[in-house]
Amino acid sequence: MALGTLDRSLPPFFNQGPSAYSKLVFFGALSLFLMVADARFNVTQPVRSAIATVLYPVQWVALQPVHAVRNAAEYVTGLTQAESESAQARRQLALQSLRAGQVEELTQENNRLRRLLGLKEQLTTPVLAAEVLYDAADPYTRKVIIDRGAAQQVEPGAPVLDESGVLGQVTRVHPLVSEVTLVVDRDLAIPVLNVRTGARSVAYGDPSLGGAGMELRFMGSNADVQVGDLLTTSGVDGVYPAGLPVATVSRIEHRAESAFSKIYCVPKALTAGARHVIVVKPLTADVAQRPPAPAAGPASKRGAGK
Amino acid sequence: MIMRSGQQQLLLPASPVFIWCTLVAALLLNMLPLGRVPWMPDFLALVLLFWSVHQPLKVGIGIAFMFGLAMDVHHTALLGQHAFSYTALSFLASLIQRRLLWFKVPLQALQVLPLLGAAHGMELILRLLSGGVFPGWVVLIAPLAEALLWPLASVLLLVPQLRAPDPDENRPL
Repeated sequence: MALGTLDRSLPPFFNQGPSAYSKLVFFGALSLFLMVADARFNVTQPVRSAIATVLYPVQWVALQPVHAVRNAAEYVTGLTQAESESAQARRQLALQSLRAGQVEELTQENNRLRRLLGLKEQLTTPVLAAEVLYDAADPYTRKVIIDRGAAQQVEPGAPVLDESGVLGQVTRVHPLVSEVTLVVDRDLAIPVLNVRTGARSVAYGDPSLGGAGMELRFMGSNADVQVGDLLTTSGVDGVYPAGLPVATVSRIEHRAESAFSKIYCVPKALTAGARHVIVVKPLTADVAQRPPAPAAGPASKRGAGK
Repeated sequence: MIMRSGQQQLLLPASPVFIWCTLVAALLLNMLPLGRVPWMPDFLALVLLFWSVHQPLKVGIGIAFMFGLAMDVHHTALLGQHAFSYTALSFLASLIQRRLLWFKVPLQALQVLPLLGAAHGMELILRLLSGGVFPGWVVLIAPLAEALLWPLASVLLLVPQLRAPDPDENRPL
């Protein structure tokens, strides 16, 4: 019975359940255990997937008002904007048509040359269209949630693209939704190729500058990088298909105290506000298997002897 | 049935259905896809704190832990981060709940501020320990905004309990 209410039920006098301290210790320890299991051992995926599936209807309800407002706003933006967008799309299409026309011939030529040289055929990768449900509200990471999951054969590690470049990588797959870590997240690295020079390097998410940029690490201060260079995926990782635009170099800081210069990049993809994305099947299946490690040590010898 | 000082009327018993509805509504408010806003007040923490203070027998540490897990999965945060901070928040609320309601509502807001600040501080420390990036000092606004919302919650969440115990045609509600 709470004070100051007309509640007539008596509070239990003797059977009060576990004390607040023991509950605090139990649930506190449980959450600490979950945190360690999640951060260090990655064994909490089934728990996460189960909760995510139970939460899905609630999330769907929460998304509706925002979607309704967005749709209404798009409806009233008017004819003029639609016309200007259509004209811009036509212009872009006209610019692309020249290159698109050449691609057929170049692909054919490339295939012929590759066959001539005995190289492996270039692969076309299966893709899956998806829509971004929401930006994850966690202020410590950069992730979005897309509306395709294990039910649609999304695989963990799959690259995600939007209309202008690489957006990120699928890092967790739930039955109905998936989490995509964006290229601007500090923990995501992506192997890139400087199109102008052909130099390979690795681009990381950069948490400074409001977390909207990328950084090209470990490039010597005498490396040939210029502002405006386009970086595309190099394909050496076996995850990203080669040749997808990732970022452009925006600023280079040479530092006297360091052998490396700090190179800031701006991602090509819309890291804030992407709506329609493409999930590409990761190439890992097509990468040649590593040769088996040579048997070494007494344990393996004993195992081989049996 | 003890009236506190300054209390106008005795309250009706709280309905468990209403409590659960407000908790789910707060979860929905937290889930609105408004993007990454580090200073966004945590409505669920506020409602959990409110019911832990007003109805400690109905809403306790176990329910706080459960809703915390739901928030973790929705935020794609470290699993257990919100669960830990909500558990601690609910426990701290149980420590002060006998004292808090004897104060007027603005003074109550002042007293819950350190609790909400501690909850956010715990999340911040846990994330920084697990290698997160500091999101900026605007995170300090969140507990302040929650404490400012405490008077509003005290009005809205007590409305069903403020109805007349003996409704007649002059007082239908």
